[in-house]
Amino acid sequence: MSDPVLSVRDLGRSFGSSGDLVTRGLRRIGLAPPPAVVQAVADVSFDLHAGEVLGVVGESGCGKSTLGRMVAGLLEPTTGTIHRPEMPGAALPMQMIFQDPFSSLNPRKRVKSLIGEAPRVHRLAAPGEVEAYVSDLMERCGIDPGYADRFPHAFSGGQRQRVSIARALAVKPEILVCDEAVSALDVSIQAQIVNLFMDLRDELGLTYLFISHDLGVVEHISDRVMVMYLGRVVEMGPVDRIFDTPAHPYTRALIAGVPRLDRRRAVYAPIKGDIPSPLDPPSGCAFHPRCPMATELCRTERPGLRDMGDGRQAACHHAETMTKEGEPPWPATRTG
Amino acid sequence: MTPVLELCGLQTSFVTPGATIHALRDLSLSVARGEILGLVGESGSGKSLTGFSINRLISPPGRVTAGEVRLHGQDILPLSEPEMRRLRGRKIAMIFQDPMMTLNPVLRIGTQIRDALLAHERLSDAEIRTRAIAALDEVGIPAPEARLRTYPHQLSGGMRQRVAIAIALLHQPDLVIADEPTTALDVTIQGQILALVQGLCRDRGTALIWISHDLAVVAGLADRIAVMYAGRIVEEGPVDDILDAPAHPYTAGLIASVPVPGQRGGRLQQIPGRMPALTDLPPGCAFAPRCARATAACGTMPPLTPVNEARAVRCIHPLGQEVPA
Ligand SMILES: Nc1ncnc2c1ncn2[C@@H]1O[C@H](COP(=O)(O)OP(=O)(O)OP(=O)(O)O)[C@@H](O)[C@H]1O
Ligand SMILES: Nc1ncnc2c1ncn2[C@@H]1O[C@H](COP(=O)(O)OP(=O)(O)O)[C@@H](O)[C@H]1O
Ligand code: SF4
Ligand code: SF4
Ligand SMILES: [Mg+2]
Ligand SMILES: [Mg+2]
Repeated sequence: MSDPVLSVRDLGRSFGSSGDLVTRGLRRIGLAPPPAVVQAVADVSFDLHAGEVLGVVGESGCGKSTLGRMVAGLLEPTTGTIHRPEMPGAALPMQMIFQDPFSSLNPRKRVKSLIGEAPRVHRLAAPGEVEAYVSDLMERCGIDPGYADRFPHAFSGGQRQRVSIARALAVKPEILVCDEAVSALDVSIQAQIVNLFMDLRDELGLTYLFISHDLGVVEHISDRVMVMYLGRVVEMGPVDRIFDTPAHPYTRALIAGVPRLDRRRAVYAPIKGDIPSPLDPPSGCAFHPRCPMATELCRTERPGLRDMGDGRQAACHHAETMTKEGEPPWPATRTG
Repeated sequence: MTPVLELCGLQTSFVTPGATIHALRDLSLSVARGEILGLVGESGSGKSLTGFSINRLISPPGRVTAGEVRLHGQDILPLSEPEMRRLRGRKIAMIFQDPMMTLNPVLRIGTQIRDALLAHERLSDAEIRTRAIAALDEVGIPAPEARLRTYPHQLSGGMRQRVAIAIALLHQPDLVIADEPTTALDVTIQGQILALVQGLCRDRGTALIWISHDLAVVAGLADRIAVMYAGRIVEEGPVDDILDAPAHPYTAGLIASVPVPGQRGGRLQQIPGRMPALTDLPPGCAFAPRCARATAACGTMPPLTPVNEARAVRCIHPLGQEVPA
């Protein structure tokens, strides 16, 4: 395989929560515990290869956005490294696209300057050619170039997402970090944007870190998938492996619980319990309070991410049992 | 048997001096006892307004301008506001995407359940306590007694939604309208809530309208589906018929744009364009500008026409019929 365009090693990020005014006051006089630390992301390592889509899934608060912001260079990691070989011709090699294209687009700027400003500053287009450059990008992303003088509020959600994609592409990035980029869109519009991402990959060789809580979309678009739980990678591997024979009980619970068009009169047998607070993570395997396969070992020792010998890694003491048995060892969603 | 709820030609409009916008038009549907109706459509199609119209909770300048809302056969639109208040929460209950629409952030859970109970029943303190604990227990809240003293912000999103559901079901309503109650929840928590609501409604024979933009959620839950587009129902029928053999081109487009497991990496089918604004509707079928089957005949609004005794479609050239050249 070619050299990676991005290598991430042991990446971690913690946030200190300083608490409210009262807590801080109490702390000063010794009546409250010291500030809690949230380990939002811990020990994440992966390589990204050119033209690849790495999907990142997990439930809210598991650290997806924090990981994405570190990879995009918008947030300093507290531990670990992000290595990116020199990329000739790339002005800003990493761009991020967010869920809410409204809050990420300056409402007081016309579309043509939203898209055209960065390439002008970075001299990616000669001053006289910026307009044509912007028109090209708009065309490319499926927005009528005739709308270049409009403000963002005059666009629908799907169109605004196209504008933010065009704006990201304007600096010729190698890697797009998409954080819930299609989550707020209606399915018919979501399909348009997913197709646009796939076209851009084919035509420009773009590489994606595609973050979403929507397993259907991630399964559709990704080559490889990373599953996160409470800040850590619990399973990572080729999309077929992850979705067809998940090795981690959490991955299996996620996939089994996803409503699907072909699951009628479903009888959901969801995994029990709440997502634990990252302020107070469970001992051992963070999933153990909810895991039907948990043993004493799981309560005391945190499983490391292990190579499963099929191009996949999983962090579970009993991953072999999971992959051996065809049926999940607990009731999953049935259809009647 | 009389359905629990029947909407007949419901029209909800926003009437301002400058203009009148009809946000719901010619809306007819019915839900029987113990039945789950999935109401689907994209953002702005009128799903929530339908729920609010049934409950008579549209705020001015919006109001129901035509049609009937029949509860057990009786039109409730002519009822006075006090009469309506006696129905709300007791006969018809609502669950929202944001449980804080139901919950008061500054009151303890126990107080809120107590207030909800006393709105329709006379009970002693001991009875209230027993009922409250039972209600929380029923929706799977661990240590319900201790939870009575907590405030909503001390609970997770999933727990808050459970409390909102517990309150909605306190008086064993005949009809529950659930407006995207799992949309903001994570997959594993969504599964828990789906299982819960499904169980409770089936056991009690509650009629349920489940509003969602997510076809897959509705596929797993509903007995029947109604698809809305630009304020109108465009197709309605049993879940399998609608999803396996959609008759309306919009329904077919919606189904095709959902990613399916078997087709990893392929292009998704997309519906070109987007839903027109209510102020900017084309004459005739509102889907015509996006429809591959549109002909000149679609310039006249087609009525919701029965396909067989169980389903109906609002389309001049439904799928399965040939489009005249
Ligand atoms: N106060 C109002 N004044 C004018 N139009 C309104 C008002 N409230 C709602 N509408 C319009 O009525 C239509 C239906 O709105 P509704 O909230 O029912 O949509 P929905 O299907 O629930 O959408 P979503 O999936 O986004 O919740 C929309 O076009 C909306 O803009
Ligand atoms: N700026 C911040 N300050 C404190 N905590 C944060 C901050 N950003 C994220 N967190 C915490 O880090 C964890 C991961 O958050 P995030 O990456 O946003 O999750 P996700 O995107 O997967 O929902 C959460 O517990 C969140 O509360
Ligand atoms: S390590 Fe144990 S608790 Fe954790 S997922 Fe595996 S079996 Fe479950
Ligand atoms: S009535 Fe005509 S335009 Fe409307 S959906 Fe049917 S075929 Fe398409
Ligand atoms: Mg996030
Ligand atoms: Mg709504």
